Amino acid sequence: MKISISGTLNQALRRIIPLLCAAALLAACTPPPEPPQLSRGTLLPSPKPLLDFTLTDHTGAAFTRANLTDGWTFAFFGYTHCPDVCPTTLASLVQLRRQLEGTMPSGELPGTVFISVDPERDTPEQLAEFMPYFHPEFLGVTGDEEQILTVTRQLGILHAKAEDAGADDYLVDHSAAIILFDPDGAFHAVFGVPHDPVAMAGDFLALKHYYEAIQ
Amino acid sequence: MKRILLACTLLVFGGSVTAESSINVTNAWVREAPPSARMLAAYMTIENSGDEERVLSAVTSPDFGHVMLHKSEVVDGVARMSHVGELAIPAQGRLELAPGSYHLMMPAPKERLTEGDQVTFELVFGDDRLSVQADVRKKP
Repeated sequence: MKISISGTLNQALRRIIPLLCAAALLAACTPPPEPPQLSRGTLLPSPKPLLDFTLTDHTGAAFTRANLTDGWTFAFFGYTHCPDVCPTTLASLVQLRRQLEGTMPSGELPGTVFISVDPERDTPEQLAEFMPYFHPEFLGVTGDEEQILTVTRQLGILHAKAEDAGADDYLVDHSAAIILFDPDGAFHAVFGVPHDPVAMAGDFLALKHYYEAIQ
Repeated sequence: MKRILLACTLLVFGGSVTAESSINVTNAWVREAPPSARMLAAYMTIENSGDEERVLSAVTSPDFGHVMLHKSEVVDGVARMSHVGELAIPAQGRLELAPGSYHLMMPAPKERLTEGDQVTFELVFGDDRLSVQADVRKKP
């Protein structure tokens, strides 16, 4: 009985081995895909997984590292009292989404998260009246100062109240970069200013294609 | 009667004659903002056709509590907004107030402004004042 099994196994192996050899040969001949050349973004040499964090989104639900693993996510840091740079960047992110809408099923579109660097004034309620104005799918996220720092420190995002901060209408300096997280929730690429939605859409598609090719 | 008419004319137009003769403002607009926005920004192009530099020293508005001259800039990747004391418009030159650069910042009025609304700004150039109408627009 044993002999018969090993005989069958041998036969099976004899058939499979040439196929395996052919597959190995093919793999050896096909060079691994090259990282894409980006026009606006900078790809991290290796994606950086994030340590745990807990924030609150504009619906009042918890926003954690797990929320970054539903798919790709663009994140921008700002504050709702910012009348110039933040609305301009959010409008660019809306345009970026429109650029991508025709290229993939809506379920695969990257998420967009606006993370407040002004926890004093940006409550979830304040964000709930601010965020949907730009796009119903965009998510506003806030937390206390320490919770926000837990995220920003990992990404090299800076923020500070401006020196000439008045009592109530103070300004906040903040990094202008847009961060891209991959579906593993890792910090994957960064986009500096000026934010060009068409170029960013092209870069995103190239990054997504490359990411899928090397999985 | 003629004297009263002349006095009235001077009262209405007297202050802005010099500014109007050399300063021309175009494309003035206020960005429509979300319902909870506390601050708004306005943009415009200010052209100076005169042979002397003109200095915009202040802006007032009947539609806003106060109006600040502001500048946004990105330094080493960090976006900064700062107050600007005054803005010079070079002789035979122009100054663009545009997103991500110079702009006017004002607290949002209680009644929310939406696309199609109009607001008025008074631009102060030394002793001269220039009235400017701006549209509220929804755009990037």
